[in-house]
Amino acid sequence: MHALFASLAAFALAQAPAQNIDVAPLRTPPPMDTVLLPVANKPIVSFRLVFRSGSVDDPAGKEGLTNLTSDVLVQGGTKKLSSSELLEALFPMAAELEVYNDKELTAFVGRVHKDNLDRFFQIFTDVLLEPRFDPKELDRIRSDEVNAVKNHLRGEDDETLGKVALDAVLFDGHPYRHFVGGTVQGLQSITLDDVKAQWKRVFTKDRLVIGLAGAVDDALAKKVKDRLAALPDTGAPRVKLTPVPRRTGQALVLKKDALSTAVSMGYAYPLRRGDPDFFAVAFALSYLGQHRQSQGVLFNELREKRGMNYGDYAYAEHFIQDGWGANPRTNVGRTVQDFTIWIRPTEPQNAIFATRGALHFLQKLIDKPIPKGEFDAARGFLAGLTRVWEQTDQRKLGYAIDDRFYGTKDFHEAFRQALAAMTPEQVQAAAKRHLKVEDLNFVYVAKDAEALRKALTGGAPTPIAYPTPKPQDVVAEDKAFTGRRIPVKVDAVKVIDAQTFMEK
Amino acid sequence: MPRHHRLAAALLAFAVAASAPAAEKKPFFPYPMKVDQLPNGLTVVRVPFASNGMIAYYSAVRTGSRNEVEAGHTGFAHFFEHMMFKGTKKYPTGEREKILGALGFDDNAFTTDDCTIYHSFGPSSGLEKLIEVEADRFMNLEYSEPSFQTEAKAILGEYHKNAAHPELKMEEALNATAFKKHTYSHTTMGFYDDIKAMPDKYEYSKSFFQRWYRPDNVIIYIVGEFDDAKAMALVKAAYSPWQGKAAQVDIPKESPQAAPLAVGLEWETPTLPRHVQAWRTPAASLATLDGQVQNVLASYLAGPTSPVYKELVLEKQLVEQVGAPYSEHRDPYLFTVGAMLKDEANRAAVDAAIDREVKALASGKVDKKRVADIRSNIRYSFLMGLETADDIAGALAYTGALFGAPDALDRYYRRFDEVQPQHLVDFAKKYLTEKNRTVLTLKPKAAASQPEGK
Repeated sequence: MHALFASLAAFALAQAPAQNIDVAPLRTPPPMDTVLLPVANKPIVSFRLVFRSGSVDDPAGKEGLTNLTSDVLVQGGTKKLSSSELLEALFPMAAELEVYNDKELTAFVGRVHKDNLDRFFQIFTDVLLEPRFDPKELDRIRSDEVNAVKNHLRGEDDETLGKVALDAVLFDGHPYRHFVGGTVQGLQSITLDDVKAQWKRVFTKDRLVIGLAGAVDDALAKKVKDRLAALPDTGAPRVKLTPVPRRTGQALVLKKDALSTAVSMGYAYPLRRGDPDFFAVAFALSYLGQHRQSQGVLFNELREKRGMNYGDYAYAEHFIQDGWGANPRTNVGRTVQDFTIWIRPTEPQNAIFATRGALHFLQKLIDKPIPKGEFDAARGFLAGLTRVWEQTDQRKLGYAIDDRFYGTKDFHEAFRQALAAMTPEQVQAAAKRHLKVEDLNFVYVAKDAEALRKALTGGAPTPIAYPTPKPQDVVAEDKAFTGRRIPVKVDAVKVIDAQTFMEK
Repeated sequence: MPRHHRLAAALLAFAVAASAPAAEKKPFFPYPMKVDQLPNGLTVVRVPFASNGMIAYYSAVRTGSRNEVEAGHTGFAHFFEHMMFKGTKKYPTGEREKILGALGFDDNAFTTDDCTIYHSFGPSSGLEKLIEVEADRFMNLEYSEPSFQTEAKAILGEYHKNAAHPELKMEEALNATAFKKHTYSHTTMGFYDDIKAMPDKYEYSKSFFQRWYRPDNVIIYIVGEFDDAKAMALVKAAYSPWQGKAAQVDIPKESPQAAPLAVGLEWETPTLPRHVQAWRTPAASLATLDGQVQNVLASYLAGPTSPVYKELVLEKQLVEQVGAPYSEHRDPYLFTVGAMLKDEANRAAVDAAIDREVKALASGKVDKKRVADIRSNIRYSFLMGLETADDIAGALAYTGALFGAPDALDRYYRRFDEVQPQHLVDFAKKYLTEKNRTVLTLKPKAAASQPEGK
């Protein structure tokens, strides 16, 4: 509440109207819309069942219910198989059965060698249609999910903590606010009846897109559709997302015992796939900081030249890493997207300097067209990378299904065609329309939270003492940003103990 | 490959002495492979694979943190991996990345205890240039002292980000307890003090390159769609001037463990308690079944269908997770079973359950169906794990560097069919003993201050 109040006050002072982000909901594909991608000579079958259901469907006070329900389905056994029998059945096939959750989408993923297709098909569909709802399994899975917040998120992964906290800042008061995995109190309040009810409410035919790839054909698609016809036609009415206010200049410091300081910044914005500016802005931000690639400006300027940390990246849409690689996870489709910059943990004394550096290089991207040589290199890189993103059948399915929700077509091909036609001036103009340093909000995970609060609002320069001599151009550029204003509103810095984060 | 092959191979292994040469078998690895060695010792492996115009290019260096024998220089194999991105005379810092970037390559590297792997994945049209810049950096790496010192800070940042998670400290403590002489006593990241001192080791870093980045210590893997003759001609032209032989180093041998060992850690921030049992075990090798047996044993003792998992995770719910994260090592290493406890009070019961299963196996009780299921799991995991050119090159390069043979992937995986239930019994009896064990406990500070024995 405090943050919202402060931001409203600041808006009033600046005489800017308090605007909401104006954006249409994601599209609603027809019930059991099907994406079929057969691949010749491939021995593997991939299933991807994506429901237009996610943490936005969690009832107030039951935060985490959709995620927990999906995990109970996938892990908790079927009418025929207890949870341990389910594991025993899948194991000799090395079959994969997983679920991935986000704010608005939930993807049930199955993968199996065609030798074992019939057996797996039965199990995979039973998981959705005939769950066991064993109370003991609910207790077990819930306890894991409470720990995921209490210990793993709050205690063991400062980088993810910073990112989840940024979501909470950008979407305070909105159904996107809470961690997809839930809050401690929300999870604790969930009963088995809640889980059973949520299963019927959100995993329904009218919310489902079916994806099949690899050793698949029309007959298999029909078989899947026939079996899933047993799902309810419809359940809960679609959640009407409340408008997201344009929130800017907020800062949240999560205080915890940490060797280094993690930094995330960003804001919610209306830009998403399908918008005429999307590819240009996505390209600009790839140039600024493609995730875990050594090409980006931020990576080179902050890490390679200045030794600030392990990496620095920028994102045009909400980014979750797919497993251990550097690829974006698919089916993170959101009505309201966010632009973010991620500064991996720095030594505490350098956190503000690194923040200022990121703002400086972002401002350059907005102010000037990308130099031609760099533009061509970054374009070639991204064109190649889009092909890396579509290498597996599961990833192809994920993107094709996202297309159905965004109303786009053949995302990667369209991206490559758009890249081929872009000019530095067009990209700069699009960046200028959508990227604004002044609009950023900030999250820090840090030990000395008070010192950070003072530094953020005090505005004093943060000159840096390098352990090694730096080239003249680096030193000169440092001078240009070491006193740079960080656009945080004086009354909008909040400090909380990390141990209280996502309690409710 | 016909489905009866697995059974036939298993029967064959049963009937014939282990040392007998294998009858002519179809390769386990399902794709054709060409192997050549250049006169300078560089091995080049190619696998044609339908990849929609993509190519994966891996350079596998048979040097990892295992090679770090000098005191005060731990973490250098990994640090050096970072320095390999710092340029040459022809392509100074950043140039290589610009060139490969513009061609659309996803490009990175990683280091393990035993090897360092450099990998690029992108459009086949960039292969010619890729070969040129890769050969150039492997032969002509050149970086300045300030660049080296700046990168040392990035390494420190990498350590700091990893340090938020208990696993890094646990691995550090376990290895330092179980190994007193062998270089496996430190993790691949290296000791924290050594990482902090890295900026002063510029000259040493150059000698690291001279010693290990030699053609006979590297295998190149090219997987995807490309013209083989043309690619080989380019590789020969680019890499032939590379000369020299990799250094020989005596890795200190660890003495047999004389008595049980234990190490305890406290954790400052809230976390779940951990309990780890680790035994000193033999190396993985293409000449024995020790790697395959440990792999099967990992699933047998603590996999998702094991009695330990059923009891501790599903029925009694004493732990959030239990598992045996076995990874093959070139020298004798550790076989580990670890659990994340839901409560400190569960520690004794968890320890006892693991003990009970180990003892039952060592006494000769073995579930044959589970062993067969595990072999089936490994076979299907293997086949399903090779979906892209990048997957294939990654699997080939890792096993190639680990075992020092270009075709190690096939040779290693095909022998899983030979693993019999009795192998697990014999292995458990010989190695999973009290005397050979190290127990690691991690307690969050609040729990650590509570009296024991609740």
